[in-house]
Amino acid sequence: MRLALREMRRQPGRFATAVALLTLIAMLLMLLGGLLDGLIQRSTGAIRAQPADLVVFSAASEHSFLRSRISPEIRARVAAVPGVTRVGGIGVSQLAARVPGNGPRDLVDVALFGYEEAPSGLPSPPAAGRAYADRVFEDQGVKKGDTLSLGPARTPVRVIGFVEDVSYSGAGTLWASPQTWRDVQDANRPGSSVGAGVFQALVVRTSGDASAVARRIDRATGGATVTVSRADAADAIGGVRQQRSVFNQIIGVTLVIAIVVVALFFALLTVERIGLYGMLKAIGARSRTLFGGVVVQAVVVALMAATIGSGFALLLDRTLPPGTIPYQLLPNRLIVSSIALVLAAVVGSAFSLRRVLRVDPASAIGRSS
Amino acid sequence: MIVWKEMARAKVRFGLLIGAIALLVFLILFQQALRDGLITSFTGAIEHQTAPVLVYSTDGRRNLQSSSITPELAAQVRAVDGAAAVGRIGQSTLSVRAGGSITAAAVIGYERRDLGAPQDLVAGRYPAAEGEGVANETDASEGFGLGKVVRIAPGGYPIRIVGQSRDTNLQASPTVFVRYGSWEQAVLAANPDARKPLPNALGLRPAAGVSPDELVARVNRLNPELEALTRHDAATKAPGVAQVSRSFLVIFLLYGLVVPLVIGLFFLIVTLQKARTLTLLRAIGARSRTLVWALIVQVLVVVGLGIAIGTLLYLPVSFLRVGSIPLQFDTTAVVGWGLGILALGVASSWFSARRVLRIEPAEALSGGGLGA
Repeated sequence: MRLALREMRRQPGRFATAVALLTLIAMLLMLLGGLLDGLIQRSTGAIRAQPADLVVFSAASEHSFLRSRISPEIRARVAAVPGVTRVGGIGVSQLAARVPGNGPRDLVDVALFGYEEAPSGLPSPPAAGRAYADRVFEDQGVKKGDTLSLGPARTPVRVIGFVEDVSYSGAGTLWASPQTWRDVQDANRPGSSVGAGVFQALVVRTSGDASAVARRIDRATGGATVTVSRADAADAIGGVRQQRSVFNQIIGVTLVIAIVVVALFFALLTVERIGLYGMLKAIGARSRTLFGGVVVQAVVVALMAATIGSGFALLLDRTLPPGTIPYQLLPNRLIVSSIALVLAAVVGSAFSLRRVLRVDPASAIGRSS
Repeated sequence: MIVWKEMARAKVRFGLLIGAIALLVFLILFQQALRDGLITSFTGAIEHQTAPVLVYSTDGRRNLQSSSITPELAAQVRAVDGAAAVGRIGQSTLSVRAGGSITAAAVIGYERRDLGAPQDLVAGRYPAAEGEGVANETDASEGFGLGKVVRIAPGGYPIRIVGQSRDTNLQASPTVFVRYGSWEQAVLAANPDARKPLPNALGLRPAAGVSPDELVARVNRLNPELEALTRHDAATKAPGVAQVSRSFLVIFLLYGLVVPLVIGLFFLIVTLQKARTLTLLRAIGARSRTLVWALIVQVLVVVGLGIAIGTLLYLPVSFLRVGSIPLQFDTTAVVGWGLGILALGVASSWFSARRVLRIEPAEALSGGGLGA
């Protein structure tokens, strides 16, 4: 091991190519991971903020808020289920909003939620025609006290405060009373109007085993509902699963590339060092020690690349102007990406094992002499 | 001759590289088909419908379902100079019972067949009455086959599939084109609280002597609340299309990096391993050009075989569906990627070729080579 590290100190140029290549891969891994986290956070914030263990949708909706309808009768049945401690209605309208001072075609995407149970960071529902706004709107020129005009009907909604991390399906959100939501929906989406007391979904707090309560709710409504955990409801938002799947696939391919790069680099290095290994074996070095040196060098190379890559990811997080790309750096992502890169390097270096084992001290000495 | 002998003797070594390249080619072609399938599934219904110009409300942000045309806006568009015909188009994503299960489907209603219906049918006929629809041929396995009846859930409004079209999906969902009245009834059936829905867009046909682009400019000058787009722009500028294309571009760039890296490093290692042999060959009179040519022939054979096997692996997969996305065998993509990978492979052998050219025949006497 000491020999391996000494070689890296004395001939840093020999390892520079591998460090540079792996650094590029580390940057790519962290950029992709940050993009994935940013996209998911921007899509699911509104659901993650719900004060609920369960979300109840109508059976035919396939967990889609826009296609779900919960009548007051169904709600009463849900509320009566043993284990249900609190029930709140929720509904959302996805529209475009006109911001005061912006051009006539310069609109922003908005998801207006009507809520009964206050999500984290929000107080109880505001008065009619008022709403708390997602902090992301500040970057789009929205200020406290502004009145936004929603949808083709230009329904006015006044912003009375801001709240963090509550985006939905990639759009910023407004949080209003159920009546404001119904008025907005009715004025702008006549085909999706909702009657008095009707919500798109229910958020439910439970006592005891939440999954057992979910089953009891669906039984109590005679199959008219589908009850899922808050995490499953977040996953069901359009595009979340697909984005996660595509990005994880890209990240997987990137790791395979890292393995291939390390494998080929150390195979090349091993070929160049066959004579040296032969000499070392001839003077008593064991194959295990030599291979251990290769692995140590691979780990050091990967750690250097991960460190530089993490620095890049942090710099990007600090300097990226808000609203440009959906990049969000989570500490877990840095740790997991770095560990994955080191593991890929170990796996890649393992491809040189056979070559190290096959080194014949006698022929190596013969070649050298 | 020596090229073939070497490859025949080191079958495992070259076989592994051919396998790795075949896998990469398969992955590239699969991802390409996935990208094309995704884009077609998201916007095929827009690209392959009959209206040359579509008018959305600015509020719709180029998304058909989010757009909403009020009667006042519709009246302004109908009065525009240069429009030969105007037809309403409605679209909703509704839950539908098809083939025994509930699924989300995009229902598109058109007022005029020449302004919003699929351009061509591959089977059956266009709807002649309310409650009839045309579905995409690849959705037949999801219960949208010719002659099948799908029902809006809840509400139960029935739509009989009387025709099949190609590449006409929207939002990666099964898509059914119906008459405008059928769409209105489907929306009202799905939501008992609904009022009569407004059209989501208007389809326009330019008058003789007016191009679609001119008509688009005229409509956009009418009112900032309207956004007119040509059929092609409406498909390519739809939300999400650019993001999908960019995401896949990143994947393809990664592959563009890994392919030459794998091939280049492999042949570099092989060249180093046979350094002594190459030096001896040079010492007995073999010219550098001959040795480099042998290397290039090996690269071409290995990469060519990899491409062929990768394409064969991709062939059966290209007829499958990934989730709701149907894949297609794209000959242009196969030829394009094949030539590209071949070029990358040859380019990446430059490092090995340089090593071969640096061989000093005199070193054969001292038993040296390329630094091995």
